[in-house]
Amino acid sequence: MKNSKFFYLLPLFVLGMLAFQACTDLEVEETDSVFTPVTGNTFAGNATNLLAAAYNDLNSVSDQANIYSLYEHTSDEMIPPTRGTDWGDNGIWRTLHAHTWDASHAYVLSSWNQLNSRVFRCNQVLASTSPAPTAQETAEAKFLRAYYMYQVMDLWGKVPFRNVNEGVDVNPRVLTRAEAFAFIEQDLLDALPALPVTGPGGDVTKASRAACNTLLARLYLNKAVYTAANPAGPYNFDPADMDKVIAACDAVIADGFTLEPDYFNNFLTGATNELIFTCNGNGGSPQNRVHMTLHYDNNPSGWNGFTTLADFYNKFEDGDQRKGKPAKRDSTRFSGLAFGFLVGQQYDDSNRVIINSRNGLPLEFTPDVPLTGANTAQGIRVLKYHPEELNGNVDDTEYTKYILFRLGDVITMKAEAQLRKGATGDAEATIDALRTVRGVGTLAPLTLEKMLDERGREMYWEGVRRIDQIRFGTWTSTWSNKTSTDPTRVLFPIPQQALDSNPNLRQNDGY
Amino acid sequence: MKFLHTLTKGGLLAALLLLSGFAMAQRTVTGTVTDAETGDALIGASVSVVGTTRGAATDINGAYRIEVPAGSTQIRFAYTGYAEQVITLGASNTVDVSMKSSSVLDEVVVIGYGAVKKSDATGAVSSVTEKNFNRNAVAPEQLIQGRAAGVVVTNNSGEPGAGINIRIRGTSSVYGSNNPLFVVDGVPLGGGETSGGTDVRGLGRQTVRNPLNFLNPNDIASIDILKDASATAIYGSRGANGVVIITTKSGQSGKGVLEYGYTLGIGQLANKYDLLDARTFLAEWQKLNPGANPSEVNYGGDTDWQEEITQTAMSHSHNLSFGAGGQNGDYRFSLGYLDQDGLILESGIRRLSGRFNGSKKFWDDRLKISTNVTISQTRDFGAPITENVGYEGDAWANALKGNPTWPTRTADGKVFQSGLVGEPSPLAMIELSEDRTNGLRALGNMNAELEITKNLTFKTVLGGDRSISSRKSAYSRDLVAGNAIGGKGRLNVVDVEYGSKLWENYFTYTKTFGSVDFTGLLGYSYQQFEYAGKTNAYSKFSTSELELMINNTATAGVSAIVNSYRSVDELQSYFGRVNFGIKDKYLLTATVRADGSTRFGGDNKYGYFPSAAFKWRITNEEFCPDLFSDLGLRLGYGVTGNQEIGHNLYLSRQRFSDGGIDDGGNAFTGSQGNVAFENPGLKWETTAQINVGLDWGFWNSRLSGSIDYYKKNTTDMLVRVLAAQPAPNEFVWENLDADIENTGVELSLNLAAIDKEKFDWRILGNVAFNSNKVKKFASFLNTGEINGQGLTGAYAQRIAQDQSLFAYFVRDFAGYDSEGIAQYANGLDAQVFVDKSPLPKMTLGITNQFQFGNLDVSIFFTGQYGHYIYNNTANALFTAGALGAGRNVTADVPGSGESRNNAPDVSTRFLEKGDFMRLQDLTIGYNLPLKSKNISGLRIFVSGQNLMLFTDYSGLDPEVNVNKALNGIPSAGIDYNAYPRARNISIGANVTF
Repeated sequence: MKNSKFFYLLPLFVLGMLAFQACTDLEVEETDSVFTPVTGNTFAGNATNLLAAAYNDLNSVSDQANIYSLYEHTSDEMIPPTRGTDWGDNGIWRTLHAHTWDASHAYVLSSWNQLNSRVFRCNQVLASTSPAPTAQETAEAKFLRAYYMYQVMDLWGKVPFRNVNEGVDVNPRVLTRAEAFAFIEQDLLDALPALPVTGPGGDVTKASRAACNTLLARLYLNKAVYTAANPAGPYNFDPADMDKVIAACDAVIADGFTLEPDYFNNFLTGATNELIFTCNGNGGSPQNRVHMTLHYDNNPSGWNGFTTLADFYNKFEDGDQRKGKPAKRDSTRFSGLAFGFLVGQQYDDSNRVIINSRNGLPLEFTPDVPLTGANTAQGIRVLKYHPEELNGNVDDTEYTKYILFRLGDVITMKAEAQLRKGATGDAEATIDALRTVRGVGTLAPLTLEKMLDERGREMYWEGVRRIDQIRFGTWTSTWSNKTSTDPTRVLFPIPQQALDSNPNLRQNDGY
Repeated sequence: MKFLHTLTKGGLLAALLLLSGFAMAQRTVTGTVTDAETGDALIGASVSVVGTTRGAATDINGAYRIEVPAGSTQIRFAYTGYAEQVITLGASNTVDVSMKSSSVLDEVVVIGYGAVKKSDATGAVSSVTEKNFNRNAVAPEQLIQGRAAGVVVTNNSGEPGAGINIRIRGTSSVYGSNNPLFVVDGVPLGGGETSGGTDVRGLGRQTVRNPLNFLNPNDIASIDILKDASATAIYGSRGANGVVIITTKSGQSGKGVLEYGYTLGIGQLANKYDLLDARTFLAEWQKLNPGANPSEVNYGGDTDWQEEITQTAMSHSHNLSFGAGGQNGDYRFSLGYLDQDGLILESGIRRLSGRFNGSKKFWDDRLKISTNVTISQTRDFGAPITENVGYEGDAWANALKGNPTWPTRTADGKVFQSGLVGEPSPLAMIELSEDRTNGLRALGNMNAELEITKNLTFKTVLGGDRSISSRKSAYSRDLVAGNAIGGKGRLNVVDVEYGSKLWENYFTYTKTFGSVDFTGLLGYSYQQFEYAGKTNAYSKFSTSELELMINNTATAGVSAIVNSYRSVDELQSYFGRVNFGIKDKYLLTATVRADGSTRFGGDNKYGYFPSAAFKWRITNEEFCPDLFSDLGLRLGYGVTGNQEIGHNLYLSRQRFSDGGIDDGGNAFTGSQGNVAFENPGLKWETTAQINVGLDWGFWNSRLSGSIDYYKKNTTDMLVRVLAAQPAPNEFVWENLDADIENTGVELSLNLAAIDKEKFDWRILGNVAFNSNKVKKFASFLNTGEINGQGLTGAYAQRIAQDQSLFAYFVRDFAGYDSEGIAQYANGLDAQVFVDKSPLPKMTLGITNQFQFGNLDVSIFFTGQYGHYIYNNTANALFTAGALGAGRNVTADVPGSGESRNNAPDVSTRFLEKGDFMRLQDLTIGYNLPLKSKNISGLRIFVSGQNLMLFTDYSGLDPEVNVNKALNGIPSAGIDYNAYPRARNISIGANVTF
């Protein structure tokens, strides 16, 4: 009997050993991704690849929503009318125009997330070890970090910051606007000497000394805003800062950029003269700029969305190149479209009157447009990136790149800085030289009001109007369909979900 | 590789061999098993020796023969549909048994790593057997829709093969799958998708297919649903949403049976929208556009687009099986073929499936080797219907909004297109696109069960599951729709591979100590899951031919590698269970499972999931009145988990993001980016559940049933939340400090209203109430994306404290002003909670079964109550503005008082009660009395599904759930152009040889 018990137990034991032997230590193996552990303040990332990713992130600004919408719909040069069933979009556009957005606004949130996570990814480039960034790559990453952080500082007035070694449990610390300003300035000054000198025709999809100087000029020009005790002003412009603006602008000009004799050529394939910094086109092209404004019955068919305001359109004098260029209507593809402002009766490529398929009437764009209850033909459309070459002779992949920095911006900034430091004559000379190329006469005697209008004429729909209006103090005035004069609207609210995620953040005044 | 290595360590076989020598003194018992009423022999009845795993089956004459080991004194007789009997052996070696038709009580329920008599089950378990399955099911879930209390099965749409949502006792998780764990013949299935969805820019996401489509419902014998935590805790980290155990048919009867069944189905559009005809459309359009020339929108036709793109959906289903069962083994082989058309032209599903189940006993019946294998090929033909299309609309949206004056074809026979990018012709969308998914899936297991001693058995299970799916979705450049397709053409190819391997070992020890019956279970399980896939995109085709686009992709001018991926996860578990039965009155069950998973990192790789349950069989107490044939009180508590999140979200890692082709037809490449934060604290979502239940039977169980109360509390909610920026990504997975509470009551009733020999009437009913609430949640999550013209960025649901999950968060509509502009109680852009939820408060199912001699009739109603549906279809399409712009609308839009310039913002205007009651199934069957020697049975039947629908919902069908996830947060109860549902009539015959 003893033996038989033993015989029972032995196989049981063997079976038990086998049956319960762990098959795995549960160590995860990866075949479709690489581990990038953080040790100390370094990150096992590939700096070159991550820098390429940081550049690709720029492309999303060509989207009509998110960051671009915060800069444009809030200003006096663009309006997103709700047209019956179209463009209501949960109020996301009209609350921007009417300055009635709140902390749950979806684009305020998505822009916050996009911009801040890009700052973090630039931190990752800088901390990468396999391989570590070269001196130039470090400079490029610092420039890009400054570019993204600048927008966070500008839109929200405070900037959260997280090091690469601060994990999910760490609440990011928050820089004040002045601290952020200093941080950005330092990044740009660090980057400047290590960036390549790229003139017109060079690879302007990469950071260059000229791009860095352009951002420095914008930074110093607005320093009074970013360092003001009250974000809504008053702002005190220090002549020393204006000299820095002028110096930065002169440095850009010295790199060889010249004004494009035909303004709208800037937005076509092959343009080089004025282009300082552009997107690289990998995942974003100016197509949305075409669709977001054109009517359904234009060719190409648009989404019948955004228009400019009559008051803004009226700031242009006839003969100004920038006001527009008539359509060719010579039966070539997209030749029915004018350049610049599209107003009045619309024609197709073969010079036939376009009938509005939504109401059966001739399609005529009219200047006045309400914010809600608009019909499909109201509002002047704006076409800078003319699709002349889109789907035309040139392959789509060669479609022009979306412009981030352009010489016209630099020259008008320089003139403004000269004006603000009291060198009115210099300012007039600078601005008139530009206006001569644009086909219009002198602006003398130059005033701040005229300067703002000129900035508008040169830079409309290029994403800087919000910054300009705040700096010139017209942000809290009223315009068509915008009656709010609330000074706290110079800053966007910290998104509610961002507040929930980081107790170090405090909501901006007024929200 | 470790897996195989361990397996081949070689000890297993040797050990088995060692054990083969222990034969013991035993006796042979023989006898016959007959029906107590008719005296007919019962073929294939199961005969087993109590306390052992020895078993035999009766042959064609009802005779059996079984070896009874020394020390065993009882034999158990069981037969589906009959009351189980246990006979204590006397001196005689002949035992004849006559068996009585059973009540539900004596049925056996499968509980995971074992089975118990229903009356001994301590947990809340619903069991549905073949007899009560729904007819005409394509997927296994449809078999039990409405049949089990607290189990809500929602077909996401009427599309054949579409996804199915199954919620057991409410929705307990925000993210991850709320679907239960499916276990097929002992093999748990992975929770991921096995086929790809595709997303064509501008036309939205096309739905993924139901991963269970590969199982032929005809092969399924029973489905057991483990509902409470005391029952599901044996599946630990995968048990929180319940467990559905599918048992497939095995061979029965000694002689062997050959069966063939054929069903012809005819489906028709059950419900249509009442749209304007061409004449009314033009007149109403003119009213909204005074001064305009109606010829601008008059294309001269008069087309009912709903008719034009739908068809009578024919389906053919063939099922052939043969098998046999005997004393020491059984087998069953089956072959099934299904060819089902969808209601929308060119859509449908075809499935060819084969299955082999077999078992064989060796070594004096002490070793049983079994196998279950199925292999199945599915071909899906999709319609261009998507979940989140914008203003252009998908094929069904365009059938609704399409201008009724459009002709279907031009004079030269080509499909008509208006030329407006935003207004594609629905027929053109169908004819100029192709969407095919080919899937091949094999699932099988091989197991060996060894009786080591008469009390102790050991079982080892090797399981494997492999699926390959390829989806090709092509749109011709001739199609004028959206900016991405016209003039360019578009093809997406999505390949998905899934594989899983399982090895499980467990010991079961059964012994009676005096008046205590003890069963103990101890086991180990290892399962590995592999998901892999790739997606390619193509554009700028030089051809318009869809077949060439698909089969000669070099016709594309631009191609882009979107991405590929592969992940492997492992789950390693130890589990145990003890059952005590004391004096047959007190039943105690305790289980524990330790699950280790590669999905979680750091200190939380292992989770521990205990449970305990108690049942008091009051019927067996002296004081229990004779009125009760059964009375039992159950009490259970357990902790289970949910691990359905993505792969490795806890280690810092990077990969290249997706590339693709933009609307202009330009390829773009991905770039290196972060997958996840370093997040070692990530752990299971945990659900604790308490359950109190009462089982009863009166009048010899003519009226029986059970009632259960439960309360589930989910903590450490796994949610993809916005990361505190700056962060590597916008979102991060966290265990939120928030709770989700589900409480409910379930009642099921079983009444034999008339129980006569020639006339039998049974009523089966179930009703369940559930209430769901989010607690302790400091932030909020928006979801329920609403799409359509002017609805970009719109959403209708928000997850927040003290609301139900997915509670509606919308504007409060207060009618129109004198101008016809919508007014809202809280202002134009203020969304608020309106105390309405998409989750049903009550669900019910009622079956009436009649038997008149050879004729049987079954009538089944099912319903859901107390919830609301957001009608995104109406929001996007049926508005004055849409009509004014030349799109068709329903007849109630003209005269509604709405201005054509009104913006139809998301509001209670489109929120509707979802209550419905459906005559889901009516079947009349007749068993032909046959005197043939060769044919033993012939049954013919006619059956109808979805014959009547009682609802106030203005859309086509309130049973709908289009995936309207926002930022990956799922939604519930939103209707958006859902593929319409059929009313189906089928006739068929089953013949048994």
